[in-house]
Formats: sequence, C-alpha cells, structure tokens
Amino acid sequence: MAIVLPKVSVKDLQEWSKLGEVFTSGHRLCAGCGAGTMARQVTLAAKVLGDPMMIVNATGCLEVASTVYPYTAWDVPWLHNAFENAAATASGAIEAMKSMQRKGLMRERNVNMIVFGGDGGTYDIGLQSLSGAIERGHDFLYVCYNNGAYMNCLSLDTHIMTKDGLKRVTDIQLGELVYAFDQNTNDLVLKECSGIFDNGIKEVYELKTLHHSIKTTINHPFLTVQRSRKNYENKLIWKTLEKLKPGDEIIVLKDMNDGKRYSFKEIKISKKGDYKVHKINEIKLPEESNPDLMEFLGLYVGDGWTRPHKAETGFSFPENSEARSRLVFLSKKLFDLEPSTAHQNDVYLYSVNLARFVDSLDFGKGAKNKIIPSWVFTLPYEEKEAFVKGLMQSDGYSIGKSNRYVSASYELLKTLRLLLQTINYRVGKIHQQTKKKGTFVVYRQLLEDSTYGYVCFSKKKKPNINKYLSQAKQRDFLADNEYFSSEKIVSIEFIKEEPTIDLRVEDEHNFIADGIVVHNTGIQRSSGTPQGAATTTTPPGTVIPGKIEWQKPLAEIMAAHDIPTFTASPAYPRDLMAKVQAALKHDGPAFMLVDSPCNLGQRYAPDMSMEIAKLAVKTCFFPLFYTYKEDWVLTGISSRLAKNPDRKLPIEDYLKPQGRFRHLFKPEWKKKLIEIQDTVDEKWERLVTKATCV
Amino acid sequence: MSGVRQVVGMTGDEAVAHAAKLVNPDVVAAYPITPQTIIAERYSDFVNNGEVDTSFISVESEHSAMSACVGASLTGARVFTATASAGLALMYEILYVASGMRCPIVLAVANRAFSAPINIHGECTDQLVCRDASWVSLFGESAQEAYDETILSFKIAEHPDVMLPAMFGIEGFIVTHALERVETLSKQQVDDFIPASRIVRDRFCPDENKTFGSLVLQDYYMEIKRQQEEAMQNAYKVTEDAMQEFSELSGRKMEITEKYQLEDADYAFVSYGATAGNAKAVVDRLRAKGEKVGALKIRLFRPFPSMDMFQALSGIKAATILDRSATFGSPGTIVQTDIASALYGKENVPSLHGYINGLGGRVLTLPEIEEVYEMSKEYNNIGINSTTDWVGYRK
Ligand code: SF4
Ligand SMILES: [Mg+2]
Repeated sequence: MAIVLPKVSVKDLQEWSKLGEVFTSGHRLCAGCGAGTMARQVTLAAKVLGDPMMIVNATGCLEVASTVYPYTAWDVPWLHNAFENAAATASGAIEAMKSMQRKGLMRERNVNMIVFGGDGGTYDIGLQSLSGAIERGHDFLYVCYNNGAYMNCLSLDTHIMTKDGLKRVTDIQLGELVYAFDQNTNDLVLKECSGIFDNGIKEVYELKTLHHSIKTTINHPFLTVQRSRKNYENKLIWKTLEKLKPGDEIIVLKDMNDGKRYSFKEIKISKKGDYKVHKINEIKLPEESNPDLMEFLGLYVGDGWTRPHKAETGFSFPENSEARSRLVFLSKKLFDLEPSTAHQNDVYLYSVNLARFVDSLDFGKGAKNKIIPSWVFTLPYEEKEAFVKGLMQSDGYSIGKSNRYVSASYELLKTLRLLLQTINYRVGKIHQQTKKKGTFVVYRQLLEDSTYGYVCFSKKKKPNINKYLSQAKQRDFLADNEYFSSEKIVSIEFIKEEPTIDLRVEDEHNFIADGIVVHNTGIQRSSGTPQGAATTTTPPGTVIPGKIEWQKPLAEIMAAHDIPTFTASPAYPRDLMAKVQAALKHDGPAFMLVDSPCNLGQRYAPDMSMEIAKLAVKTCFFPLFYTYKEDWVLTGISSRLAKNPDRKLPIEDYLKPQGRFRHLFKPEWKKKLIEIQDTVDEKWERLVTKATCV
Repeated sequence: MSGVRQVVGMTGDEAVAHAAKLVNPDVVAAYPITPQTIIAERYSDFVNNGEVDTSFISVESEHSAMSACVGASLTGARVFTATASAGLALMYEILYVASGMRCPIVLAVANRAFSAPINIHGECTDQLVCRDASWVSLFGESAQEAYDETILSFKIAEHPDVMLPAMFGIEGFIVTHALERVETLSKQQVDDFIPASRIVRDRFCPDENKTFGSLVLQDYYMEIKRQQEEAMQNAYKVTEDAMQEFSELSGRKMEITEKYQLEDADYAFVSYGATAGNAKAVVDRLRAKGEKVGALKIRLFRPFPSMDMFQALSGIKAATILDRSATFGSPGTIVQTDIASALYGKENVPSLHGYINGLGGRVLTLPEIEEVYEMSKEYNNIGINSTTDWVGYRK
C-alpha cells in the first residue's frame, strides 16, 4: 500500500494543541533544545489518532532529561531499557502483548508503539538491534532524533574571570572575552566566549583545594598535573571530575595582570535649581577610581548604606573607632564633604549625588546582599589592596599574620575570596555560623538571630623559587608561572541537584571558574555528525578540520529494509506530524529521521533552534521526503526547492551560524567548504532525479 | 496422574525444551549458540507445530534476546530464553537491567568455555561470573535436573517476595548433548505447580501511564539496589520451599545442597553440575578402600547457601573443591572463595583445597580425582588449610 500523507492544516494544529501534552513540561532538556519540540510534535500527532500509544526510549538526552526519578515528563506508558537496544525492547513488548492477547490475558486492541533513539543509539550502537526488529516486521515507528553528536556543566553561582572583571556565570554574554589558560605557553590569555548553555538541573559536586572551591557536574573537565617519576615528563592533562580524587593536583589562578583605573559611568547629577531642589551639598565626584576612593568604598561595603531619598550615605562606625576617623578623613579629601558625626554609633554623609553615585557602583543593597562587583576585579593592585584595607577597617580583624573578614553576605565573602586570589593572598574556606540575638559581632550587637560567615586570609610570601625550582615544582607544578599554580584537591563532595550552565570558549576551550581552570563540555562525534563539524573527538585541528566523514545514509539504509521511511524537521510541524500519522497507520515497521537542533552541541544561541532547523532544509542539507519501495517523494519546502532550484540557499547559510563549523570559515579551509557544497549538491541532485514532488 | 511416572530418553537441551513447553511461556526470545542450540531448535518446533502458543522472537543477537525479554517481562509476560558462553557475555549488560527492573525472566545456560582460544565445550565460568548480577543462579548435574530446574526457576523467579530473574546451568555437551533417562511431569502437574495467572505488578501496557527505567541518581539509587539484596535474601527460603513442593510433586528429592555419604565422613568433595556425579563415583571407590569420605553438591549458587555449607562441612577435616571454571589471580577458585567466606571465623570447619579443572571440556578422570583427594589430605596433614591448584593439564 502506498503511503498517503494526511493534510494537516494550521487549524488542525490549533485544535490538536488542546488535547493536552504527552511530553509535559518540567523536563530538563537544555533550554531551546529541539528534541523537546520534536517529542511533543510526534506524541501529539500520535495522540490525535486515538489509539493508545506506548513509548520505548533509548538512553540519550531525551530519556535522561525527562525521567529523573521520582519524576517523569511522560503522560503515556514509557519504557527505557538501555542505549543500544530500544528496538529489541519494543519487539519484546509487542510480542508480549500479542501473546497475552492470544491467551486472553490482555484486552485486544491496536497500540501505536513509538521508539525514540538519538543518533548515537541509532546510527551507531543500536543499528543492529533496529535492523533486526525491522527484519522481524515488528510494528512500530522508530524515530531517530539526530542532534549530530554524543552530548554531555557549572553551577549557577560560579564566577568567571572576564576582561571586565569577575562575573556570575549567568551574566556572561556571547562574544564576551574571558580569561583562559594558554596550553602552549602556560600564559593567561583572553578568549572569546562562543556559547552559553543552560544544562538544566544536574547533580552538582563541590571540589575543594586548600584555597579554592568550585561547584560543578561530575563530567566537567579540569586541568590536572600528571606527574611521572622523572620530573621532566610531568605534563598537564584534562580529566573529568569523576576521575579526580583528593591528592590530585589541579591548575588554579594565582595572580592576575595588574589592572587599570576604572572610569565610572555617568550618573544623573542634581543641581540647585532643579525641580524641588532648593538646597544641596555640592561635592566633587571622581571620574576614575583611585586608592583613597577604593578604601572609602571598602568602608562602605563593610558597614555602609544609602538612602538617596534622604540624601544619606550612612556608616555605622562607633565613636573613637579607627574606621570613623579614616572615614572623616577620606570624605573631606575625596568629596570635600564634612560628615555629620554627632551620633554616637553612626556617621552620616549628606549628599544626594554621593548616595546616587554609591548606588550606581553595584555593591548590592542591605548587609546580606552586599557583593564585590565585577569592575573591582579589573583595578590595579594598589586599588584592590586599598579596597581590602577599607573592608578590614570596618568588619575585619587580624590575628597575628592572618586576617579575618566577617560578613552576613555569603556572596560578599565569595567574591572577596576570589578578589584576594587575584592579589596573591592565601585564602581559607568560608566558615558560616549562626549567632544569637544580642551577641557582639565586630563592635555591634545583633538585633536578631543572624547567620554570619567569615574568611581568613594572609599575604603569600614570594620565595626565591629559581634557586630551588625543581623542588618548588614538586609542590607547585607551575611554581615559576606568574599567573597559575597547581594545588592539591582536598575533597570532592556531592552537594545537591541544581540548575547548571556551561560556557564554550574558542581556541583554548577552557576558562577560569571560581579561580580554577576548567574545560568546556564534551560533545563526541557519532556517525550522525555532519562532515566538517567540530566535536571534542573531532576537533578542528591544523591538519584535519573536524569530522572527516559524511553522515551515514541512515534513511537510505532503513529504506532498503523495504519499510516506509520519512525525514522530518521540528521546524515544519505540519509536515512532521502528517508523516507520524502516516507511519503509525502503516501496518508494520516505519522509520523516521528527524533533524534535531541542539544548541549545546551545535553551538548557537538557544532561541535559534528552529531557525537552524529551517536552514538545514532550505540549503538541501537535510531534505524532507518519504520513501517506500520504489516511491521517493519530496515534501514541503524540499518539494518547492526541487521545482524552484534558484531558491536553494548556499550551505554556508546553514554552517555559518553554528559554532561547530566556525573553523571552516578560516581562509585555509575554503576548499573544505566547497567540498561540502559539492557533496550536498550531488546528493540533492540524486534525490531530485528519483523523487516526485507533492 | 501424579502417580504414573513417564520415563523418556532425552538430552539435557531437549529436557529443557520439553520442560519449557509444559510451562508454555508467553514469550521466548533466543539466538542460537552451541551448545544451547537444541533448546532453541526444539522450542521452535513446538511453536511452529502449534504445541505451544508462545511468541518466539528470533532475535539477531543475545543482546537483543535479553533486551526483548526485558521488554516482554515488563509488559507482564512470562518469559524464557537460553544461551551459552559468549552469548551470556553479550547479554551481561542487560542482565543487570533485568534484575534492576525486577523482571522474573528464566534463562537456561548451556555452560561453555569463553574464547579465546575459541572452544565450544563445557565449563561453568560463563555462569559463575554473573554471580553479582542479582540473578538467582542454579546448577544441574543431569538432564533430569535440567528438566526439573527449568520448571522450578519460574516458581522462584515469579514469587512475589523475589521478583528477580533466574538462570540455571548445565554443562555443554557433557549434559546438554548426552542422552539420559528423564522422568517427565504431566501438563497438569506443572499447571498445579506454576500459577496460571501472570504476576501482579506495574506493567508497561496501554492502560497504565507509567514510566519504567527512569534515571535514578545518588538520592535513590542505593535504596533500589538494597531492595534487590533483600529480594535475593528472600530467594533462599523461597527456593527451599519450592524445592520441597517440587519433591512432593515429582517424587524426586530436591534440595539446595545434596549430601552424599557425609554423615560419618572425615573428608569431603564439594562440587556442582556434572562434576558432582564424578565426585559421587569417586566416593564409592574410596569408601570401598575404607576411606571415610563423602560428597556435597551445590545446586543453588545465588543466593549462596552459606549456612548449608557450614552445617554440611562442620566436623570435616579437609574439603576438596572441584571447580570447572577459570579465574586468574584470585585467592581461590570461584566457588572456593565463597565457601571460605561462608566458613570464616567458624569453629570445627575443614581446610579448603580448590582445584581448577576440566576447562574447555577437558575430562578429569576418576583416578585423577582420587589423586587430587590424596593431595588435599596431604596438605591437611602438614597443616596447610587453604590451597588452590590447577589439575589435569599438561605441565
Ligand atoms: S540541546 Fe543538545 S545537549 Fe541539550 S538536551 Fe538538547 S540535544 Fe541534549
Ligand atoms: Mg546525539
């Protein structure tokens, strides 16, 4: 029986969408992932048919992200067995139902069995199982969602070193320059961030060295020292967290380049004569940072607040404290402003412009929310030191050579720790404790029970390492390096499941997270990976530009089993859903290859998935068609492109927006681009020759 | 009916196929491999001649065989399969899925040596190395025991306190292909023994929107695994009861361990599978020479019958453990190390002398077993209480 595609109108889609989701929200696929869209379209099309559906799902993103025990995103019977055996598992279930129905142990009825497998589970390891089940004629629709690789992050409160200072990983923008470790020269370099990925909720571990800690997922790679017995063979290699254990040495940031003065943004300045402004304390505001100002701001971060509507910048420094006298001195020197010191415990600076200025610096509001903003990380040494001095005068104290800084803001302690690491301090971990109402915390009595934390730190001594370099290198592999050092891991502990994110950095593929050198995520090639694509197992080298081989012709292989075979794209839902319905109505096995855009592996922004999927079709890289026995039929856009060849887009349009092909656009690989275009053209021509159009 | 004993001549493989036919499982998914082939072939005969109404899935590999079994079992079906050696190794990944998802699949193993070098003959390593896969594991000495254990395995696996898969092994060619006398059961007897209804469990079926095989992380994984261990502990009692019931049904005594001439013995052989027959023959020869020796046969390997070992062997001076399996760099033979753990710290227990023998179908002759016995006695006399030797090979 020939295949007849049902007509699906936009109105149908609107009606169907009211039927309710089968693949429900709350799954943990990456934001923007095309696999979720694909799964919803396939299951909805099946739901419309009315017969019950059952799903077998191979191991892969769709499975892992949808069924984190004890939750499930599937509102249908759903079974996962392993990676390579989804088709065989479906065979078992189908035969079990037949047999039990024969024996009267189960009600007789038609069931639509759908099997989902990724490219790894279908093109590669599961091909035999699929071919076997099809040969046996088991009645299911096998949907291979090809995201083009084996895919596999950092916790959201991770801080990244960027050109513009320290930033939360969630605030990093595409194209931003981040610091990285140059693996050839062991230097600190700036590299462009070319991808940001929301990796969903994952199990997060905390890795601690004596002076650093970072929260990450188990498969995140770190740069580690591999020591051999003979010193000269020691080298740096990447290892994932799961392969690390306490005692292993990882590379951490020791020191940053000296920064430069920071130019402040302009703020709105009130003048006498403005609306409702009759009187104003005129002050001079700095345009650039300087050590005195940074000390003043250190005092502010420690114990200050602003109330711009009252024109107030306040500090709680009691009478006769050193902090109070420094504040008075600095206020006069910096702003030409006489503080009001009448109050026994507090000092007030009255200037609406000052309050506004301080507010514009992003230090956070309220004692619990204070933070050191990113621009502070870009400052010169002495300004950072002055800032720390100010902080210490407010809420710090020294015990011998060790300093201790106390704060109610965890974020402040975290960022302070990282700041100190850029100016050659040793820092301990963050200690937290809850103090009862009434206790004194550095000078002040607590008004309620509060959680306080503190960090200890001390200046590192600079030993004369050149004299004893080999010994020093035993302890610190990078002892002679200006910016980095190696530190032993103290512990690795499971924390909890939480949302994670990952970055991709060009060239060096690493970045500095919470002061530790880490590698971006792993994406390994499969036989469904396109030619020329960069994955972590087919990196774009100087000799070989990414994956060498063209994709396995999976649709053709399946079609050779004499079964209805379809290709479809989630960017064209009507085409996809019509094909799902035709496939399910067919009595016997059917196969569908879906191009599943994956922002994580293919490296483009998460809101571009459907755009990328469209380009795959419009460039004829991924033609939409179906075939059964001697029929080959182009559908949708592909059918229109066959009729109007001049509308076909060049392959570059598809490749260019994807980071995984970026290297192909270097002049030396121009030849490669032409080669890819030729292959696309040749395959497309062959298809057009044998196909009819709808 | 139960009074009449039918006796038929069958090979071990045929005995398995015929017993499975009486059970008439819903699904059999199997891939042929010597020396299991006859099981798959006979069963296909039954299917194609309409003697059973099983769905027979001719899968393209053992990996798919076990995968299909898992799919079928979770759908609520009674499932059977058979394999050997490399086939069992190929199933290994999914053995853990089967037990982890609590599928009471029954698997007959025609025990055969692993490659390389390639060899198709009897050796039990294939099954023994599956000891940690959370499968109930039994060994049979003869075609008769193969027949009996086929039926018994369904009873144990499907018991609500167990709900774990079960495998039983008979040695390739030595048992699988040897024609023996088998007392059969009637269909009615088997129907009385194994409940007609299918197990009550959550099923992968059209009426239940349930998720099977979800990703379980650090927060629940260990609890789920612990439940498997509890099920395995339960399997001991369930096996004991099932064997008791089977003995009454068949009129043949069936026990977790079989004791032969052990009551007054000073020395003992410990073995399993076909070797147990040889051990008993040697006991007879040695008894004739006045040796106070007996033999202990292990039928249930997992859960390991530790208490039975202790009770049977306490008071014995030296135990000769005949193990037809290969292990390398281990402190003892596979079964010996289990026995040693079972007896450790207890008083009045024998010295343990393990012998790796009979690999790749090699025969350890009765005189050789006698020699081995003398070796154990010698070790014991000079005060060495644990030894492991390879025997019966060209030095
Ligand atoms: S975007 Fe890619 S890596 Fe992320 S869930 Fe989707 S397919 Fe997997
Ligand atoms: Mg994939």
